[in-house]
Amino acid sequence: MNKIFYLILALFLLFSCKKSETIETTFYDCNFNFSDSSSTNPDNNKYQSLLDAITSSGVVGITMSVYHPHTGIWVGASGKSDLYNNVNMEPCNISRVGSTVKMFTATTILKLMEEGKLNLDDRISSYLQGDVINKIENADKATIRQLLQHSSGIYNYIQNLKFQTASLNDFIREWKPNDLLNYAYNQKAYFQPDEDVRYSNTGYVLLGLLIEKIEGKPFYKVFEEKLFIPLGLTMTKFAAEDHIPYGIVRGYIDMYSNLQVVESTYYSGWDYYTADGGLISNPYDMNVFFRALMNGQIINSNSLNQMLTWKAPKEPDPSFFPISYGLGIFKIETDKGIAYLHSGDAVGYYANMLYFPSDSTTIVYAVNSNYGKIDQFVSTKEAVEKIINETKE
Amino acid sequence: MNRILIYLIFITPTVLFGQGKAIPINISIFNESTAIPFTRFVTTPIHPGLQLGTEFNYISKVHSRLFQTANLYYFYHNHLAQGIGLYTELGYEYCLKFGLAFQALLGVGYMHTFATADEFTFSNGHYEKKTDKGNARLFPSLSFDIGYYIKKSEKNSPEIFVRYQSWIEYPYSPDFIPVMTHISLHIGAKFFINKKMNNNE
Repeated sequence: MNKIFYLILALFLLFSCKKSETIETTFYDCNFNFSDSSSTNPDNNKYQSLLDAITSSGVVGITMSVYHPHTGIWVGASGKSDLYNNVNMEPCNISRVGSTVKMFTATTILKLMEEGKLNLDDRISSYLQGDVINKIENADKATIRQLLQHSSGIYNYIQNLKFQTASLNDFIREWKPNDLLNYAYNQKAYFQPDEDVRYSNTGYVLLGLLIEKIEGKPFYKVFEEKLFIPLGLTMTKFAAEDHIPYGIVRGYIDMYSNLQVVESTYYSGWDYYTADGGLISNPYDMNVFFRALMNGQIINSNSLNQMLTWKAPKEPDPSFFPISYGLGIFKIETDKGIAYLHSGDAVGYYANMLYFPSDSTTIVYAVNSNYGKIDQFVSTKEAVEKIINETKE
Repeated sequence: MNRILIYLIFITPTVLFGQGKAIPINISIFNESTAIPFTRFVTTPIHPGLQLGTEFNYISKVHSRLFQTANLYYFYHNHLAQGIGLYTELGYEYCLKFGLAFQALLGVGYMHTFATADEFTFSNGHYEKKTDKGNARLFPSLSFDIGYYIKKSEKNSPEIFVRYQSWIEYPYSPDFIPVMTHISLHIGAKFFINKKMNNNE
């Protein structure tokens, strides 16, 4: 019996655990210049205390930007960008911001509409053919608008347990669009198009393919040309171009809900190539983007009105704010008024951006840890409420 | 605790159901994966594992038998977890004349998993690298296998087998992912080792 134990022990020691990467602290230096008046902002201490409270509850690191018309933009950070190398988070640091990209995808589609290249009420099947239409229920009749508004009823591939277990089985796999869509094939639609709204990543994968079909180039190149470069979003990029770009903060997951985290920087390969995730940015750039969008600097007022035309789900989620779906954007009702928002997850990362139309207050935050117990500090209604209450006047 | 488990799983059946001079040993290598059971068979990448065990017959007939197994295993799932565990199964085997055998096994046991990377623990308001003490898990399993007895005419014939094992890791992540389902595809062999007997036996 002892021999068996020694054999098992030898195997155990042979594989053991992998050591973290030693990374020079200069890796996290930002080549990022803007007129930063954060330290003189009258609410500097209040905002910094909020971030410190969040990291002292169990979030590894957080960056945040808060814009008020009368005080300008404040940026701050707390916690660590890299636990193993003990590097502090800096306000300029970039991280994965996941599904917030859907607002960029929708904006790009609306710009293509303005250029006369598509009509929102065109069926997606007018542009895409093959399995992506034939094997996805409702894809043959769903319009571009319905995909943007999550009203197509198309099954969300992320909900497929086979996908969830497969992604855990190979954390570092890089998934291509068809790999993901495969998990939506032959799945029952949630409802007939326009009957209701229900979040579906599948729709945004199709919208990425649509952009590529119309423009004849990768959708993220179109993002660069139409959004990143014109707006000067120098810290914003898409993961397909560089999966682990220089300066990206390490991500961490609380896989077992016990605030014992492991690094997950390399584990978000399922959204490197699709328009439902994969964005990398920092809260400053995202704040600039959101305000420019709402101020009519990217799309015209007609397009913006269409984006901000809302549909509420028939069965709202009682654990979150009352919510309505626009085109790549959501509207929630908070104690501080109506807010537009989009949040996003990647493996080890979470981000949220909020805009209050009443006074243009814009709040963006990004954290480099999620899942398990950490989510309650950053993405639940209570967490968002706390952040809003401390930052919105 | 571990000693008690080892005694219960390995020693007790030997005492209760000792089978004379030869002890069957099952050894298998396997590929573990997170998957919905019975939806996948061969998966990649390979997450290797090794299992050693023995078994004891309750009822043995010409073509069938009811038996219990006791197993010790280890697997390494890259980037997710490594696990070591002890479990026992109640098995039923039906064997055809020419040596082909089919088994169904229902098991339960204990597993301890460890991280495969540095783990940082939140303590006193900040994270620090600490020794991973691992996580305790219940390990229920359901397996089906096809085997072939190489020398069917002999009582203690060696056997080669392929086993499809589905199992659950519980608890997994409370309030987040309650249970995790896995499959393990084993390729293995059973052989017998002779037990040293006392003179008066």
